[in-house]
Amino acid sequence: MPSGALLFQSVILGLLLGGLYALLAAGLTLYFGIMRVVMIAHSAFLILAAYLAWWTHTRLGIDPLLSMIVTVPLFFGAGVLLQRGLLSRLRAITLTMMSVLLTFAVALIIEGLLGYAFTGTQRRIQLGYGSAGLQVFGARIAVVKLIAFGLAVLALAALYLLMKKTTFGWALRATIQHRDAARLVGIDTERVAGYGFGLGLATAAIGGTALSLDTTIYPSLHWHWIGPLMAIIVVGGLGSVPGAAAAAVLLGLIQSLLQIPLGTTWAQTIFYLALFATLAFRPQGFFGGRLAQRF
Amino acid sequence: MRSSLRRTRWATALGATTILALGACSGDGDGGSTATDDPILVGISLPLTGDFSEPGKGVQQGYEAWAKITNDKGGLLGRQIQLKILDDQSNADRVVADYEQLIGSDEADLVVGPFSTRLVVPAARVAEEYGMLFVEPAGAAKEVFSQGFKNLFYAAPAVANDHYNHLAEYLLALPADKRPKTVAYAAMDDPFAQGTAYGLKDKLEAAGIKTVVNEVYPPNTTDFSSIAAKIASSKADMLVGGSQYQDGVNLIVALQQLNYQPKLAAFSGAPTNPEFAKAIGNKTEGVLSPTGYSPDAPYPSNKEFVEKFTAQFGKAPDEDQANAYTTGQVVAAAVTAVGCAEQGDCQKKLVDWVHGNKVETVVGPLSWDQTGKPQGAHMIQQWVGGRIRIVLPEAVKEAEFVYPKPAW
Repeated sequence: MPSGALLFQSVILGLLLGGLYALLAAGLTLYFGIMRVVMIAHSAFLILAAYLAWWTHTRLGIDPLLSMIVTVPLFFGAGVLLQRGLLSRLRAITLTMMSVLLTFAVALIIEGLLGYAFTGTQRRIQLGYGSAGLQVFGARIAVVKLIAFGLAVLALAALYLLMKKTTFGWALRATIQHRDAARLVGIDTERVAGYGFGLGLATAAIGGTALSLDTTIYPSLHWHWIGPLMAIIVVGGLGSVPGAAAAAVLLGLIQSLLQIPLGTTWAQTIFYLALFATLAFRPQGFFGGRLAQRF
Repeated sequence: MRSSLRRTRWATALGATTILALGACSGDGDGGSTATDDPILVGISLPLTGDFSEPGKGVQQGYEAWAKITNDKGGLLGRQIQLKILDDQSNADRVVADYEQLIGSDEADLVVGPFSTRLVVPAARVAEEYGMLFVEPAGAAKEVFSQGFKNLFYAAPAVANDHYNHLAEYLLALPADKRPKTVAYAAMDDPFAQGTAYGLKDKLEAAGIKTVVNEVYPPNTTDFSSIAAKIASSKADMLVGGSQYQDGVNLIVALQQLNYQPKLAAFSGAPTNPEFAKAIGNKTEGVLSPTGYSPDAPYPSNKEFVEKFTAQFGKAPDEDQANAYTTGQVVAAAVTAVGCAEQGDCQKKLVDWVHGNKVETVVGPLSWDQTGKPQGAHMIQQWVGGRIRIVLPEAVKEAEFVYPKPAW
């Protein structure tokens, strides 16, 4: 039986991990909501952002967090271009399936270019505060994990406010809910979809930077991430950002706790078990997810 | 229409037969006249891309250094060495096809091994089928020696399970109240990495030292916080990591974040890496690692190897390069003693020679048991005063063993 201290420590680690998962999954579910696109390349962009943060730190010697000043707008632009230039040209009838192929190709291109530019060597940002930790009620919280979690919470809060309080957010939600109706009330859904896609990719820039603070990165790492993230957005209900966030925190927590009895290898399977269970018993997802029902 | 089609078929068949016949003739011609000044073709498949690409490239440099140094001295039996290196992409299916090609169609005179247990076993099976001598630089797990291979030899001082033998002896010789009482093990799910940690685990458990954590993680693990949490909460006296490089660093950083301070910490692979100190914030003092090779080791051929390798590649060799070079030295010793290097009966003579003899190499004198397992143990190195030094065994030590380990 694990001790109380270990359980408490694992709960904290699980919540910190879940927060990061929530941010990473938010973008992925956004794309699906906007245009029923399965964006396999999301995690590749994540790793790209992590590499840019690492590069900023090693080459320019400044804090990796500062790389976001460049990567966030850059990724937003890349997202708009990707949607306008490639994905919106796919035929509506085969959109979901073809988007898998198209974004799969994009992911391979990014992976290949990363390997070409930085080699396959595993990289890790070495920060002065990399091994520092805070003592909280007998548990230790690493400073870098706290920063990553803080970034995730801030980015998700900003996304939430943007979606709920701004005209663009209303237009985006209207586009997600009913594209034809949105067009009838005068929303330029094409343009909104492009910006929405940019927004999703901008979250990848923030998520990638947060990720780079405390883990090793290598070009093929994105395959390791896309599976759990896909599972999270299905469990959360495709297209639902709050659903993805809730599922992410929950699954992150379960994964962390399962590692105590099962070890690292088997704890990973929780994502796929949750995916199978969701598809078998509640295909529309457990939170929100009105969209997937129709899909 | 139909008759013309048939005619074409006849023509094709006739053409094919002619080509086959010609091919057979020329094949005979080649086999019959092995001129003494033909180069010796050495076939190798290496993981130059994929999971093992970094160590794979290291092994490649070792082989290239061996070929160059040997050729500069006039080659083997007066023949130049020519390497044929294929890329197996770290893939076990690929490595089988590669060795089939090297032995079958490229007619390599000799073959030597690839990198890592997962690739050595399938490769050795091919070599065994063709009756080729198979000396290899990197299959250290016990699985390699339990397959019944008769032609395989591992060109390093010890197999994975024996790496920590000197450390186990040292710890068990301590007075009972000074010995560590509890140990935490964390090993990558990889035969080599697990072999090192479990070799030590078996010996310590047999002596009554308790295992309090025993974790295995997949090779692609990047987040070690949960494993670290388990180890930290166990408060084990000693930590043993069956690690390669980055996983060892990640585990140490995660443990530092949790402020876990063991009295002893040993990792296979990681601490000997030149980047190690910087990667864990220079808090390396007292960290242990078994090592099969040190550029400072006083063996006669080692000085020449380090000098010429450094001249060729601009940096000192490390273990991967040294093991590949050792592989070359073993093969060269056998070829020189037996006086032949070609497929066929010669290979059997080479195998018999290696079984019966001791070979002087850059990692010391090597000899093997019937399964091809080398009969030695690794030196134990420790970070002492900001440098990694040999501390065990007594005979070759460069510094005193530090125990307990200072905080990291």
